[in-house]
Amino acid sequence: MGEMLIQLSPKQAKLKEELQEYFEGLITPDLQAELRDPEHFEGGGPEFKKAMRTMGADGWIGLSWKKELGGKNLSPMEQYIFVETVMRTGFPFPFLTTESVGPMIAEHGSDWAKEEVATKILKGELFFGIGYSEPNSGTDLASLQTKAIRNREGYLINGQKMWTSLANFSDYIWLAARTDFEAKNHKGISMFIVPTNDPGFSMTAINTLGDVRTNATFYDNIHVPESHLVGQPNEGWSLITSQLNLERLALVNHGPVEELYKNVLSLAQSTKINDNQYLIDLTWVQHNFAQVYSGIEALKLICWKQTWIMESGRLNMAEASVAKVYGSEFFIEAYRLLMEIMGELSLLKNDSELSILNAKLERMYRTASILTFGGGTNEVQRDIIAMAGLLMPRTR
Amino acid sequence: MDFSEMNHQGEIRDSLDRILVEHCVPENLKNFDAAFKHDAELLSFLASQGYLGLGIHEKYGGSGENLYDLGILFEKLGFHAAPLSLIGCLAEVAQTIQKFSEHESHQALIASILKGDIHTSAILEPLNQDPENPLTRAEIAGDKLTITGTKYLSELASISKSLLVSANSDEGVLLVLVDKEHANVSELTTTANTPAFKVDFDGVSIDRSAIIHAQGRGLEALKYLLQTSMVMRSYLALGITEKMTALIAAYTSEREQFGRVIGSFQAVSHRAADCFIDLECLRLVSQQAAINLNTNHDCENDALVAKIWAGNACHRISYSAQHLHGGMGVDKDYVLWRYCLLAKECELINGSASQNIDRLGLNITANQ
Repeated sequence: MGEMLIQLSPKQAKLKEELQEYFEGLITPDLQAELRDPEHFEGGGPEFKKAMRTMGADGWIGLSWKKELGGKNLSPMEQYIFVETVMRTGFPFPFLTTESVGPMIAEHGSDWAKEEVATKILKGELFFGIGYSEPNSGTDLASLQTKAIRNREGYLINGQKMWTSLANFSDYIWLAARTDFEAKNHKGISMFIVPTNDPGFSMTAINTLGDVRTNATFYDNIHVPESHLVGQPNEGWSLITSQLNLERLALVNHGPVEELYKNVLSLAQSTKINDNQYLIDLTWVQHNFAQVYSGIEALKLICWKQTWIMESGRLNMAEASVAKVYGSEFFIEAYRLLMEIMGELSLLKNDSELSILNAKLERMYRTASILTFGGGTNEVQRDIIAMAGLLMPRTR
Repeated sequence: MDFSEMNHQGEIRDSLDRILVEHCVPENLKNFDAAFKHDAELLSFLASQGYLGLGIHEKYGGSGENLYDLGILFEKLGFHAAPLSLIGCLAEVAQTIQKFSEHESHQALIASILKGDIHTSAILEPLNQDPENPLTRAEIAGDKLTITGTKYLSELASISKSLLVSANSDEGVLLVLVDKEHANVSELTTTANTPAFKVDFDGVSIDRSAIIHAQGRGLEALKYLLQTSMVMRSYLALGITEKMTALIAAYTSEREQFGRVIGSFQAVSHRAADCFIDLECLRLVSQQAAINLNTNHDCENDALVAKIWAGNACHRISYSAQHLHGGMGVDKDYVLWRYCLLAKECELINGSASQNIDRLGLNITANQ
């Protein structure tokens, strides 16, 4: 074993640089304009689709996939750098489609799914909405009630999903449905690829505080052939949970908050508040920056360490949950401290005169709350920390 | 990226645990609760086993220059509430002389420290918020220096052979080694009964050769001393808060109320989980600071971040531990109370969280 080393390797630093350059070229003014439109915050517009196909053609989709499945088999650390760099740009890269659903289909899907679906995901031509949560199944996901009944030709699906983000421009839903009604909760669940162009599929928009659109989706007697089942029947739970740690880590990547910190810092350095002073000269402003800086340092180290643990193929449940809880709660605090610095100007929306940083602060604080309950609510994460990290008894 | 410890570091950790768990039993710690808190027997044992050479170059008989190794020592001293106050001697004096002194006579002092002698620092001054700019003066006249000023919180000054003193002069900041006999040393009584002293220099005249660094490098050496001290204090805080968190987990897993162990209540386990999160953050920022300070002698922001987390973690975990222990937490027959007092000292010495936030804020907003 060598000396402890807490920095990117030269190869990793080079990858980061390469990615930065690539995204500078990819994100055109037209695409930027499209992404400012609330309708297209999360992607789905023509410029977004064009950029995704370009990324596919240039080989930047499927970085985490195994080589034999057409991917680049990047290590967890390289994947972290990819997520970090993409998120810093603000481009709504559909990580769940490309890095979670995609490789699962490529590995466990039918021949049809491998050829028709996985290859098109790699080309940036196909998008998925994630159909996990239901009106009565959120944190307790294993209690889900959407049914898939086996018949001679395949499966008949009925039910309702909630928070099906991206469904409004997706080709398919990655759907968790109950196939065994006798088995204990998580043992009777299977995963399906459900086409959104089926006449039995419908949705209503849910408009959220952060102006991010999500959807309630409805499945009314949708028939799918057997080829749309992914993995073995009743073994869907292991697919859902297989990449949970990687997904959670992507949620709390330190890139976006560090980018925001830099944006606000340079704005405060150039904002004059009177003839002799800039905003940055005020002591309390410096203190707010220092609070955010020391918080980002801890977040960066937590994420790097967690990624390094994954790199060695191990799993540390407590530390994965530490990352999720600390990161999601720190974001809320950081946005507050940074908004305080810009004061009332932080309230101005994008189309308003005098708005700052394209109203990034005004937009981001409104999306902050979803991470403390989404991706595994923080109460459950704290239960895990107490049990796995401190060996305390199970809570009731 | 590699967060794994080297084999020898794991061994140091384990063997220090074995030594200290045996030595720092409550019956022994009790002997130091009111008396002079310095376990000379433990110090000489650690010296005989080579532990005082952690982080010291092999040419002085140490284990190799590596602040990470020295950090393990402080973490473990904190974890076991050992009655030894060694940051002044091992972190401030030995490390700074090792990095900045070119004189054999000063370097000889490192060997003396490894044997178990105390040579401590006299850096902090009452009400001076900026230790990089000492109020203590050194007037230079030819080959002589005359030192005047008051220092405090000098650890173990009464039994120290010499004192490393920071002073301002016409040549800028100086770090000077002064024989203890030249100083007026008087004992202070601190909250954790740490052996801390007030040290007065009343026009003490010494040779110019007492300056430990090359001409013009005084500020650089003092900054290094202060940063090393901050980082090692953060490791001490890490050990203290690790122990308090372990006590929380153990106690709440046994204590029963309403017919169940209280650790099975979410309100309790979640407060414990928050301690675990603080602890992880403190561990990582301390490790980063120690590693960076090994290769770059000026990592002030990393050191400040470590000490900010140390201050906050000490405060939050200490009060969580007291609360979750109920009356046991304040009972002097149980072990927790000593850690709470140590935590408060760790929180405030080397700059409080608020003071260091102020400094960090200045640094990060001025650099561009």
